[in-house]
Amino acid sequence: MSQTWVRAIVGLVAFFVVLVAGINVTGTLDVTADPNTGLIAAQNTIIAILFVALLAGLIAYAATEYAQTRRLDSITRQFDTRTIVLIPIAIAINIVLGQTVAAALKVPIYLDSIGTILVGVLAGPIAGAVTGGLANLIWTYVLPAPFHSDYAAPFFIVAVEIGLLAGIFGRLGFFRSRPNTPPARLAIGAIVVVAIVAIIGFYGFVPFYSSGQISFFAPPAEGAAAPDPVFVILGWLVALLVIGAVVGLLALLFIKRDLGAAYVFVAGLVVGIVSAIISAPISSIVFGGVTGSGTDILVAAFQQAGSSLREAVLKQGLLSDPIDKTLTFFLVFAILGALSRRFVARFPQGEAAVGLSEG
Amino acid sequence: MLELNGATYRYAGYARPVLHEVSLRVGDGEIVGLVGPNDSGKSTLCLVASGLAPASIGGELKGTLTLDGTTAAGLRTFELAERVVIGFQNPNTQRSGIAATVFEEIALGPMNLGLPVVETVARTRDAISRLRLEAIVERDPQRLSGGQAQLVGIASLLAMRPRHVILDEPTAQLDPEGTRLVGEALEALAARGTSLLVAEHKTDLLDRLCSRIVVLDAGRVVRDGSAGGVLDDPELRELGVEPPARVRLTRAVAHAGGDPRALEAVLR
Amino acid sequence: MESVGAFVIGGYIGPLAIIVLAVLPAAVVAGVARRLLRVSLLLTLPIAISVVLVSVFTRAGSTVLFQIGPFDATLEGVDFAGQTLVRLLAISTSIGLFGLTTEPRSFVLDLERRGLSPRFAFVAAATLEAVPAMVERAGVIASAQRARGLDTEGSLRARLRGVLPLAGPVVVSSLTEVEERSLALEVRAFGRPGRRHLLWRIADTRAQVAVRILMLTLLGAAIVMRLTGTFPALP
Ligand SMILES: Nc1ncnc2c1ncn2[C@@H]1O[C@H](COP(=O)(O)OP(=O)(O)O)[C@@H](O)[C@H]1O
Ligand SMILES: [Mg+2]
Repeated sequence: MSQTWVRAIVGLVAFFVVLVAGINVTGTLDVTADPNTGLIAAQNTIIAILFVALLAGLIAYAATEYAQTRRLDSITRQFDTRTIVLIPIAIAINIVLGQTVAAALKVPIYLDSIGTILVGVLAGPIAGAVTGGLANLIWTYVLPAPFHSDYAAPFFIVAVEIGLLAGIFGRLGFFRSRPNTPPARLAIGAIVVVAIVAIIGFYGFVPFYSSGQISFFAPPAEGAAAPDPVFVILGWLVALLVIGAVVGLLALLFIKRDLGAAYVFVAGLVVGIVSAIISAPISSIVFGGVTGSGTDILVAAFQQAGSSLREAVLKQGLLSDPIDKTLTFFLVFAILGALSRRFVARFPQGEAAVGLSEG
Repeated sequence: MLELNGATYRYAGYARPVLHEVSLRVGDGEIVGLVGPNDSGKSTLCLVASGLAPASIGGELKGTLTLDGTTAAGLRTFELAERVVIGFQNPNTQRSGIAATVFEEIALGPMNLGLPVVETVARTRDAISRLRLEAIVERDPQRLSGGQAQLVGIASLLAMRPRHVILDEPTAQLDPEGTRLVGEALEALAARGTSLLVAEHKTDLLDRLCSRIVVLDAGRVVRDGSAGGVLDDPELRELGVEPPARVRLTRAVAHAGGDPRALEAVLR
Repeated sequence: MESVGAFVIGGYIGPLAIIVLAVLPAAVVAGVARRLLRVSLLLTLPIAISVVLVSVFTRAGSTVLFQIGPFDATLEGVDFAGQTLVRLLAISTSIGLFGLTTEPRSFVLDLERRGLSPRFAFVAAATLEAVPAMVERAGVIASAQRARGLDTEGSLRARLRGVLPLAGPVVVSSLTEVEERSLALEVRAFGRPGRRHLLWRIADTRAQVAVRILMLTLLGAAIVMRLTGTFPALP
């Protein structure tokens, strides 16, 4: 058995030990969903336990590696000079696109993690996490006006998560271009994606947003009349947006004939959902759910429809983030395609990420 | 002294080598010119001679690189940096991007070496005075003309006090005045015993500077000899290299029935 | 530091006290009070408008003040908006004070002197230059695109079509410089393990050290009290 396997197993064992211990220590977790909101009572505790377990797994992995080799190559390797030079540019991409493009377009998305994802994919999960965290800290604490933003630093943990997940997806080859996929496999890919979206939609989103019926904005819990037409329209708009995204993906799949698009879509979706869950408490506690951008109107609408602040922010995030992240992931996919292979290949994780196989 | 022996180099991810069996020697205080058509492998040869290929960019090198008699194989990049440095064509990419003034920019290399402050400052001042950059030491390195920026780039290399300097088309983006300044700086360096390898399209400059010239074609050395001999070679143009003005003029005079020797006497 | 304090304390009095007792005196001493207030108010204004609109009208509450369309304004909403606003102002003024009194590059150098790895110091310092450089590059590419007839103003679709072809070249062209720049840095012994001797040292007086320790202690105390529930309830 190779040393890498030993490390991976030690890491996994640590993860599960902490997970089980955490669940036992915190007692029985109340996983019944609130009928009105779809929120699980013990949601925060579960997230906290998962986070600690993940950390324990990573530390165990690193400790084993250090014991085996007296070095931490799997981490230091992700910070070669090339990556160090790339990170500031990636941060600049985040900030410039996040501030100008998103602001210029006035749409409720952020587009402020392209650079982070790029570093994660090219250099590895730890490098991606560091880029995300640094980007937000620098954005608030180091950059002078007019590029400065007061609101980035509290969200730095979200940026860390985005970089980390992007790096893992990159390592797993989710950003590999798969040109000339035969139609049969494209069709399977399309079905799988639609199935994933449908399952998440019907078992996650619909109950969460509508307490069972597909009305998207539930009427206030107590004896209120039918929901205001504004919200019904908004709800349908959102539904259309989701359908549009799926149709767009299918078109892309079959026109470009590149199954890679399906992988990128799924990765973006996952990162978006995780980001929304992590950023919701920060957004509601620190900023009262408001960030001065186009997403605020959604928060207001959900609150008016009877959600608490926390819920409203989460509902807004679960709509905006998956859209934002899938879009961002597609942009990164396009950028990787535009870069020369020899450039990509020199980064620590470049070959794994784009799958070089040139003779 | 920098010596390459039978260097065959292949970039990572490619099956075929770009350089084939290249052998080359740059003695102390010698300036060797490197010419050849586009894509003949000049830049690759510069990277191999600097040790960065494969130390930084990977790939596979067969053959040896020796610096002052010791092999460079296995050295890390920061160990190589004390022995041999390389400068590139685009002054923009050679800026560190973190310095507020030209002085800080030039001081970065010695500082990275972990030298005491006094030593760093002394080396920086020395590099500045050798390229006569005193007037711009306080300027923002982002806001320099192309020529000034390239000189600052070269000064940053000199501050490392390398025994071997490699430059890949250092004057490609410079005006005649900038080219002249760089040329003078290189001569002064060689006079102190540094070995220099300069890839360059401007054969006029090489004609003035170099003791030897190497011609590269499709990754192989096709000429290696004294500057005068190689640049006077009647086949030079077929090898994809434009002869210097001196040679073209002499030929034109001879062609018109004049006495080339009289012209040479005038030119000298 | 004060910005963290702002939420730990909560309520109205805490953030206000931080602004009045800690941030403003420091700003007056540094001679930037007026600029600080202007900058902070300007930066907080857009978000403040959102806060007011969103929380005043949508916070569920029993005391309805008035209605506009489907939205009710409640007393609870006004209260919540007020709290959020003073907190945001405390965050904004404290970070703003830091920004106005600290030259970013010296801050990074000082961090390195205090033990930040040279690689991370490089990242922070290089970002300072990379951001405006990228804006400049975007400007150059935008005018080139406009010369070719691309739209950067106008309707959403027109803007989308204008911005996307712009973002691509900006990103790709700055990425292609990474390779050569990293080689050029390695030639200058970048990445050598071990510490460097920095050329400058930032003055740090006794008084500064004392104030810093005092503030850290207060902050620590506030966090501990908050966590243990012994913090006195402030309005
Ligand atoms: N980073 C690289 N990876 C793979 N091949 C390369 C790389 N750089 C150059 N080459 C190839 O090596 C050959 C020689 O190029 P180069 O050394 O740049 O020549 P020159 O500097 O004389 O124009 C060319 O065929 C080029 O395509
Ligand atoms: Mg070249």
